[in-house]
Amino acid sequence: MTVTDPTTGGRAERPARAARAARPKPKTWSLLGEVTRRPSVYEATAAKFLYHYRREPAPFEMSPNAPINEWYLTNREGSPFTVADWEGFRDPAKLTYSDYVMVQHDRETYLDGLIDHHEATGSVQTLDPQWVEALTRVLVPWRFPLHVLQMTSLYVAQMAPSAFIVNCANFQAGDEMRRIQRLAYVTRLLANAHGEQIAATATARDPWQNEAAWQPLREACERMLGVYDWGEAFTALNLAVKPAVDAVVNDQLTALAIAHDDEFLALLLAEFDRDAARSRAWTAALVQYAIGQDPAMADVLRSWLAVHALRADAAVAGLAELFAGAPQPMAAAQVIEAAGQARARLLAACDL
Amino acid sequence: MPRLPRSEWYDLTRDMNWDLTYVTEDEAFPPQLSNSFGVPAESWWTWDEPYKITYSEYVHNQAGKDAGLFSVNNVVSRSKIFDNLDPGWKAAIIAHYGAIAVAEYQAGIGEARMARFGRAAAWRNMAMFGTLDETRHGQLQTYFPYQALNKEPRLDWAHKAYHTNEWGIIAARHLFDDMFTANDAVSMAIQLTYTFETGFTNLQFLGMAADAMKVGDIDFGALISSIQTDEARHAQQGEPTIKVLMKEGKVDIAQNLLDRMFWRAWKLFSLLTGLSMDYYTPLEHRTHSFKEFMTEFITKQFIDQFRDFGLEKPWYWDQLLNEMEWLHHAYHLGVYYWRPTAWWSPVAGAGPAEREWLEEKYPGWNASFGKYWDVMGENIRAGHPELTLPETFPMVCNACQIPVCTPAGYAAGYLDSPLPRILDFEGRRYTFCSEPCQWVFEQSPDQFKGHLSIIDRFLGGVIQPPTIEGALAYMGLSPEEMGQDGTNYAWAFEGHPAPAAERKVG
Ligand SMILES: [Fe+2]
Ligand SMILES: [Fe+2]
Repeated sequence: MTVTDPTTGGRAERPARAARAARPKPKTWSLLGEVTRRPSVYEATAAKFLYHYRREPAPFEMSPNAPINEWYLTNREGSPFTVADWEGFRDPAKLTYSDYVMVQHDRETYLDGLIDHHEATGSVQTLDPQWVEALTRVLVPWRFPLHVLQMTSLYVAQMAPSAFIVNCANFQAGDEMRRIQRLAYVTRLLANAHGEQIAATATARDPWQNEAAWQPLREACERMLGVYDWGEAFTALNLAVKPAVDAVVNDQLTALAIAHDDEFLALLLAEFDRDAARSRAWTAALVQYAIGQDPAMADVLRSWLAVHALRADAAVAGLAELFAGAPQPMAAAQVIEAAGQARARLLAACDL
Repeated sequence: MPRLPRSEWYDLTRDMNWDLTYVTEDEAFPPQLSNSFGVPAESWWTWDEPYKITYSEYVHNQAGKDAGLFSVNNVVSRSKIFDNLDPGWKAAIIAHYGAIAVAEYQAGIGEARMARFGRAAAWRNMAMFGTLDETRHGQLQTYFPYQALNKEPRLDWAHKAYHTNEWGIIAARHLFDDMFTANDAVSMAIQLTYTFETGFTNLQFLGMAADAMKVGDIDFGALISSIQTDEARHAQQGEPTIKVLMKEGKVDIAQNLLDRMFWRAWKLFSLLTGLSMDYYTPLEHRTHSFKEFMTEFITKQFIDQFRDFGLEKPWYWDQLLNEMEWLHHAYHLGVYYWRPTAWWSPVAGAGPAEREWLEEKYPGWNASFGKYWDVMGENIRAGHPELTLPETFPMVCNACQIPVCTPAGYAAGYLDSPLPRILDFEGRRYTFCSEPCQWVFEQSPDQFKGHLSIIDRFLGGVIQPPTIEGALAYMGLSPEEMGQDGTNYAWAFEGHPAPAAERKVG
């Protein structure tokens, strides 16, 4: 064998025509092996999509020591959260992209209708000014931490070892943006009815950056941004910080809104728990899958959880003070208790 | 619908920038994943996307687009449309699916990198839509071939290709990993979204969608044009990133990032799109030559955009114009000749009418490239198609990973020397097809220097046994998957008085 140019190279006899023999019609992608049942569209459009996971000599077709190869070798292939085969994990909701946008198209249509109704009745204009004052403190700053949840979900997505996991994390990030944008809309409604200042960046950013009640949450969020092992990032986000945030925003703020006769906000926030429930479902499925593959994974997750759950608890305790200061106060202990129970239910569903 | 227009509240969805205090900026935005190029955090916060869309608008639009697309696919997959497609067009779409489908899904990882490590909330939001878009493109472009697998087993490569070491896939992976999966967020905004998506995929997708409609492949046409509507939106992350760099006086950085990826994209583009446009698309459906397309869309329109941003043509412009005359003709010859190494069955596209068209679009083509086809045609007519097949491999470029075609460029009168460029670097010898490819390598040797080209692997003993058969197996090509002449050599008999029954081939 030599290496030459096509225009001067030698010639080979090769039985090219023998290849035309009849073949059985394939049931599915060859990489999925012999199957008895044709895989679903959900499976056929995700299975083995990550050609770079555990690829030799390095994930990406670059120098094996290129910076991002090393990043993935350390934080994905090298993560203690690892099992023999990640390809067996399935999202309980089995969402393709198309399914996801169809589902959320329906849910957004519902929210559009909810807003239409309340804009027609003018319910935001008639809110009690004291409640509006409380909302600027307990509702308006949320877009900052929720954005961190969006960011971290997309970190988990870019590092996850199978496309079945990637897709769940991508859609979860979309759900965070959904929640942020509807809260932004409400913030603008509040500002139009009760004072422009409500919509100023500073009204959200100053408490996020400086107010005591928000600092433990900011600490939990910023430290989560500094976590790069993919398994630890998943743990910090989906087992610690997000469950705490979802309990406070989707459940406890809903309860607070009901206590202040704010039906619009209560219905809006309750809607987001549909998305959060989908997150909890895939989180539990992934944890159960990993433990099923290797029981030692339970302790791997628990050791990370010990760190991030403490921070999440501190975050809830800080925020609970704001609930206690509302016109119709909720006891801080009640908020803390509810968030604790929410995590306990999730961990139980995870078999942790 | 809710009464407030987007403009009244949209800014409240994009102002989530603050001063980190519990971790440092480098801890939250590590330079490997997000190179700030020295631009301070608050300057990045001025990043302003030219295209605004809300989550609600996004899911409403996208659900509608997908519903339309699936109904087209549903009708088409129960029809005979696919079976009746021209073999050249089939070659084009099978090549496309293999090189592009799973790569688009990986672009979602790149977008997720920008959505996490982009340096402004507004940018991260745009990139989140990009993540979802690329998930869509990866899934659609595997779903469509999946539905047609029973009609064309080669469509398996829409899924399988990136798991193989087929040479074209190594080249594609090397390009796309450099461009997004193994790139940092800031460089990616210029290299993926601006250079590649604004400059090249726009051309590739619009051109292919138009061609698809003309050849009657409404399935593929609808798919590609729907995808392009997403690309046109998320490609706009590059412009504001360039503007931030320009405002901070970092014009050299933006120019360098652009120049590196523009050249790389050109190489793969000429391989994929050059062959599709000038050889695979049936003659009666061609509107432009590849060179005309390049001239109009890339070298005129895209260059006008660079200039609007204060950027200039890449330094190697004359070499680009030179390669536009001949490179893809050499690639086509190489792919046809080494067709067992391709997952599609290339058509020669060298019958008398095609040759007349090629001569008109590329004056001198008959004398330079046509002569190789003369010889292959004679061998086929003489009953020796095996003489049109290889027993050796070419050198491969250590930057673009595509076979070095300098001898063909030299023979055609476009180059002063048939020799590749050689670089000795840190004790290893590297081969390049062109000066800009060598320059690309030298701009970031840490990204490339330890990588082995397929020929390095062959000569270095990684590929065993070191024979044509061993190499084909290494490339993941089973005998029935290896490319064959897409028209069963019919082209060689056009205009020659040999009745089909007497053909000795086949
Ligand atoms: Fe795409
Ligand atoms: Fe794209």
